Order: sequence, then C-alpha cells, then structure tokens
Amino acid sequence: MGIAIKIDSLHFKYRSASKDSLANINSEIKEGNFVVIFGHGGAGKTTLCFSMNGLIPRFLHGEMKGNVFVKNKKTTDYRINEMAKTVGLVFQDFEAQLFCSNVELEVAFGLENLCLNIEEMEERIKKYIDFVGLLEKRKAQTSSLSGGQKQRLAIGAVLAMEPDVVVMDEPTTDLDPIGKNHILSISQMLRNKKRTLVMVDTDYEVAMDADYVWLMKDGEVVIKDSPRQVLTNLDLLKSCGVMVPQTLEFFKKMGWEEMPLNSKETIMHIKENHPEIIVPHRTLKINRKPVGSEKGIIETKDLYFRYPSSPDDILKNLNLKIYEGEIVAILGQNGSGKTTLAKHFNRLLRPTSGEVLIKGRKTTDYKQHELARIVGYVFQNPDHQIFSSTVWDEVAFGLKMLGEDEKNIKKNTEEAIFVTGLTGYENKSPFLLTKGERQRVAFASILSIKPEVIVLDEPTTGLDYAHQISAMNMLKELNNKGRTIVIITHSMWIAEQFATRVIIMKDGIIIADGPTRDIFFDEDVLKEASLVPSQIVRVSNWLKTQSLSVDELVEELKGESFSVSR
Amino acid sequence: MNLSLYQDKDTWIHRLDPRTKITGIILIFAMCLCFNDPIYIAILTLGVLFILFFARSLKSLWTLRYILILLFLFSMIIWPFFVKGKTVWLCIKGFYIHKESILYAIAMGLRLSTFVMAGMILISTTKNEDITNGLIMMGLPYPIAFAISTALRLVPTFAGAGATIVQAQISRGLDLESKNIFKRFSKFIPLAVPIFIIAIRYTNLLSMALESRGFSPASPRTMYRRPYMKKNDWIVLISLLIVFVIILYIRIFLQAGIVIKDRL
Repeated sequence: MGIAIKIDSLHFKYRSASKDSLANINSEIKEGNFVVIFGHGGAGKTTLCFSMNGLIPRFLHGEMKGNVFVKNKKTTDYRINEMAKTVGLVFQDFEAQLFCSNVELEVAFGLENLCLNIEEMEERIKKYIDFVGLLEKRKAQTSSLSGGQKQRLAIGAVLAMEPDVVVMDEPTTDLDPIGKNHILSISQMLRNKKRTLVMVDTDYEVAMDADYVWLMKDGEVVIKDSPRQVLTNLDLLKSCGVMVPQTLEFFKKMGWEEMPLNSKETIMHIKENHPEIIVPHRTLKINRKPVGSEKGIIETKDLYFRYPSSPDDILKNLNLKIYEGEIVAILGQNGSGKTTLAKHFNRLLRPTSGEVLIKGRKTTDYKQHELARIVGYVFQNPDHQIFSSTVWDEVAFGLKMLGEDEKNIKKNTEEAIFVTGLTGYENKSPFLLTKGERQRVAFASILSIKPEVIVLDEPTTGLDYAHQISAMNMLKELNNKGRTIVIITHSMWIAEQFATRVIIMKDGIIIADGPTRDIFFDEDVLKEASLVPSQIVRVSNWLKTQSLSVDELVEELKGESFSVSR
Repeated sequence: MNLSLYQDKDTWIHRLDPRTKITGIILIFAMCLCFNDPIYIAILTLGVLFILFFARSLKSLWTLRYILILLFLFSMIIWPFFVKGKTVWLCIKGFYIHKESILYAIAMGLRLSTFVMAGMILISTTKNEDITNGLIMMGLPYPIAFAISTALRLVPTFAGAGATIVQAQISRGLDLESKNIFKRFSKFIPLAVPIFIIAIRYTNLLSMALESRGFSPASPRTMYRRPYMKKNDWIVLISLLIVFVIILYIRIFLQAGIVIKDRL
C-alpha cells in the first residue's frame, strides 16, 4: 500500500498568534486507512485539516515550516482548487459549505469545477446522492433539509468529486445519535472502497472503527496508535482534556481488568466474568423526588405556533409546566421545535394561538425588559450578540439597558465574570477570545441580569469535554442557588447527568416528559425521536439500576454488594 | 424559517430560460419608463402582478411588503417638492400643491414598486445557479456573474442572521419598542457590529469552502443545467417586444400616458 499523506516536521503559526498552532508534526497515513484525530479545543485539529488541502498556508496566512505531501503532491506547490481533486475537505460548519439551491446542484457544483460532461455528472450525482441516502431529497431545497441531512449532503458533495483522501472536521457534532450512526456507516462504506479517511471528532464512539487514533495536545500529536491502545490509556486521555469512554471508566472503578469500549462489550464481559451483579429481582424504581418546588414558573396552555409565511404548525398544542428549581433538558431531532418552544419563554416568539404564562401572567402582558429580568436566553452562537470592545462592557450591557445604578452594575458584572471564570479578561476584546471563551462571555452577559430562569440553546456544542463539564457544573451551582435552568441539547450524557427532568420533542409535539431516569429507561420512546442513551445508561438500563452516570453506577453496585454481604 | 425568495414550484414561468427572464425583466423596466401617468403605470403593475400570480410567487411579494409600501410612501412624500404642475389643488401658507405633481408622485411610487415586483419575478422563479448560467451565456464574465448571484444568495442568509441578532439583544434587555427615534439610533450599534462580524466570518468560510470544492473564478467549468431556448421562450420574448413597441407608439405618437411633459 502506498502512502496517502505524509507530514514532515510541520509547524504552523497563525499571523497575529503568539504561539504555534501546530508544532513538529511528523506522520504518515497509508492509503485506505481510517484515522481519527482527537484533542481538546484549540489543540490544532482544524488547523491540521486545513493544512492537508493547502488552505494553510495559501488561504489562511501565517508562518509555516515543514511540508505536507498528499499523494506525493506537495500542498504548497498547488493551488487550493487543484488540490481539491486529490483531497476533499468537509468543514465543521455545514451551513457555510452548502451554497447551492438544491441537493443535486450542490453535488454538481464540484463536478462542474472538474469540467465533467453532463452524462458523467448525471451518473455521479445519482451514485453519491444514493450513497449518502438522500435519493428522495434529490430535488429538495438545501434549506429544507434537517441538520443531519445537510451534514450528509456536505459529505456527499465532497465524495462525488472522488478525491483520493477525504478529510472531515467534526462531522458529527450537532447531530443526534441516529444521525451520527448515519455518518459512521458512511465512513464504513468508504473504508470498504479503500479510500483514505481522516476524521476529527470529539466522540470516542466514532474512533472505535478507526485504524489509528491520533491524540493531539497543544499543537502536537501525543500518541498515534490503534483505538484500543489510545482509548484505554485513561490517564493520557484525561490529561489531553478528552472524554474517557464511560464503560472503561466503569470497569476500572469497579476494579475489573477487562476493557470494554461500548455497552455491548460491557454486557458481554459482565455476563461472562461478573454475573454476581446481575440481580434478576432488581426493579427500577422511579422515585427520584421531583427536585423543583411545587411552584410553577413557566406554563404553556394549548400552545400552537407557525411562522406567518408558512402553512405548517411548528408547535402543536403544547401543554407544559416547568417548576421553580428544575433543570429541564429538552431533547429531540433538529427541526422538532425545541428552539421554537424555548423562544416563547421570553416572548421572542408569540404564540399563534394558546398562551405562555410566566409566573402566572401571560408573556404578552409583560414589557420586554420586565421579561428579560425573569427569563434569560443564551443563544447558541455567541457571535450573534457580542459587540462591545471589552468583556466588561459586554457583560454589563444588559444591566445598563435595564437602567440599573452604577453600584449594582459593578457588583453584578463582577459576580457574573467571576462565576464564568473570566476573571482577568475584563479589559480584553471579546472578539479575540476563543469560541469557548466567547460562549462564556455571552453566558455571563445574561447571568449578570440575574434572571430567575436561564434558557440555554446548545450550551455545550463547540466546547471540548473539560469545558463542557465546567459549564455544566456552573449551571448546577446556579441551580443550587435556586435558579431554574432549561437546556436544549443534543448531548445525551449531559442530559443524563445534569437534568432533573427531560422533555422529548418530535415534530412539534412533546412525546415524553418526566424524571430523567424514567425517560432514559424507555429506549423505545427515545428511539422514536432518533435518540439513544449513552453507553453507560444502556448498561444501567440492562442491569435495571437507578444510575445515570459512571460514578453513580459504581456506588450503587458497591452499596448493593455491601448490603448483601451483611 | 426560510427567508429565501425563491419559490420552489414548477410553473411554465419557472421553466423559461433564464436569459428570457432577464431580457423580459429589462423590457418591463423599459415599459415602466415610458409613462408617468399613474393609470397607465397601474396597468403595467397589474400585468406584473398577474405574471407573479401565474408563477405562484405572490408569497415573496408578501415577504417584501414593507419595502414596497416604504418605496411608495417615500416617493409620494418626496416628489411633490421637486416637480411643479399647472393645476393648483391646495395652498397652505404659500405652499402650493399641484394636481400634476401628486399624480406624478403616485406614478413614480408605482413605478419603483413595479421595478421591485418585476425583479421578484426573476428571483422567485429562477434558481441562483440558473441566473449565473444565464448571465454567463449572455456574455457576462464569469467572476461578475458569480458575484451577482452570490450577492443575491447571501441576502436571505444575512437577513436570517439579522433576525437572530435582534432576538439575542432583546433577550439582554435591549429595548427596541421605545418610540424615541434618537434613542433608537443609538441602539443600532449592538445590532450592526454583530452582523458585520458574522458577515465577515461567513464570507471567509464560504470562500474557503468554494475553493476546497475546486472552484476558481479563472478556471473553465462545465454547466450541469445548461439553459436552452424553447418555443415558449420565443413566444414570451416576441409578445413582450410587441407590447413594448405598442407602448412606445402610444407614448411617442399618441403622446398619451403623460401627466408632466419632458420628464420620464
């Protein structure tokens, strides 16, 4: 087998950056191999992807040392559009990489650039639209696709150009579990076709099928080895800020030697070697007390919503009551109406019919600034709100708008900056911060207003594991102080570990609503909404235990064996 | 929420060659310039509305209703100051309002709105790629054709981003409900800065994505949807030309459809 990619002592420093984004990378990828790259946010994963098709240093300027060869073509010797025949790059932001009006034209765009004739184009369009499972959507407008379909289209459009090497930058973030599986099956098919595939991801489930896993930290590749070797090196994973496979952690904490990477392997090992924990009479009791008080804070009554220009109802007859002190997670596929529902809580949208009550009063009876004090809404993309020249001004903006006095502004801003861990950043420009930091600025700017309810739309996308944990712990802390939290999320483990209550939406209807353990036990209902519990909860469901996280499960099982031996 | 103005339908107007539609729109523009009598222009406006109706694209008109109303009102207010007629209707404190200037103002308002509506016919019934291809086959250099169609394509994208920005700032207590116009102006910055930043980030990313898919404005490329002229295209073009000739005749030889002479 030949060499597909050869990276030769590569260094890269962005113009205006103070340190190297890539440092001394030496690697080879064989033809037909599947490589998954892991690492914390800012480890240089995306930069490495960009260097493989020449975007670095041709489009994004900076200081580059060393060489990258793809199929013996030195990236600096070719223009980016010439490299496109050899390397296909799927970007992380799938909205920006789809620029044509419908599915077939999106696929045709690259083929037109390759100067294929109509017959060849026709053949490839059909083949690759089918390959990514969008055949029925062939004439559909790109904007009408769901997130997962858009992602698959972006991949299909790149594959149709039949490049020797395909590089994908986090193709599965923002996708629900079933959408993720779709992408994984595509990677499986590519392998069968002996195409070289490089994929950056944050989810270890993706890595299990890879030939090699690279772990990056601060611009360097720390380890290159088989998935099992890398993923079982728990200490190294932790030191690189990457999520550790839950099932591995579980076995390690139980003091067992086997190293299962997923729930299936776990169940197999338990059956074979640790059958003592399988207790047939164990019954799952749903007796977690509702954490919230009896006092409702948000209530929807027969809520319908549709956009004025559209004939379809996006929300259909929703009746919902959220109580003070709850942490509610709203789950569901892209387009199921989660964000639309949440935007009703502070009247960014008004019901088409029915009503939304905040503290028993209709949202339409409030003035907007009164609502801003009760319900804070943190948007998914911090760039939609950041405009000030310093972090301090940005965080203080809401308070100024609401007419607080100097003293209060200072006190609340200081507090919000402290809680979000932004101390020391007060005079920095928010535009120069990383995505994770900008997200915290956006959050702090809502927090400073001290709303009683905080609604967060996808608070953890774009954050690496360490930041996800710290963001969620921060929310938990606020919840302990009495705030009600509503999060919209795709991340199962976040809902499992942090929510007290889970609401599942599908096509504008609530299909399940209840205590977290209850909801995640019912895998059939989850499946209906294209959701799958995380590995550890699947194990917990099989064991019929109460636990929703590794630590809980270990504690529960050890506690049981203690009471049995007594 | 879909903010795109293109209406994904399959009418005979959708199926026309983009070159026919572009030429046709130019002809309609020219027709509007022939008259300045509101009644005559209103007939043209009605015609354009009919075409939009047959193209099942009246919906995109609804999306632009505020722009159309603003255009109309604005010209109603501005024109009477600049154009003087003969017949005096009203005299307020030495300021005369003439019948002709009011009629002319209405005509200009209608004309501007009709321009926009005619443009809507093209945008609501033609895919962006077809506009690009049409422009290229009409002889425009590729980079220019591509720039025009990309600009059209980005409008809904940025409109969507703008809507989200407004919501994000309202959530932080930005009060856009207050009546004071000067106060409102100062509230513009929290909206303008993010949209510029987003626009810059987005276009940067877009051009990276374009190049990574093998696009280069200088290189040759093929067309997946190469437009070709059919019977319907010729029928449309010839009938529009006939109408245009008739209109020219009315204006030049019959001297009809004018309220103020020596003005377009």
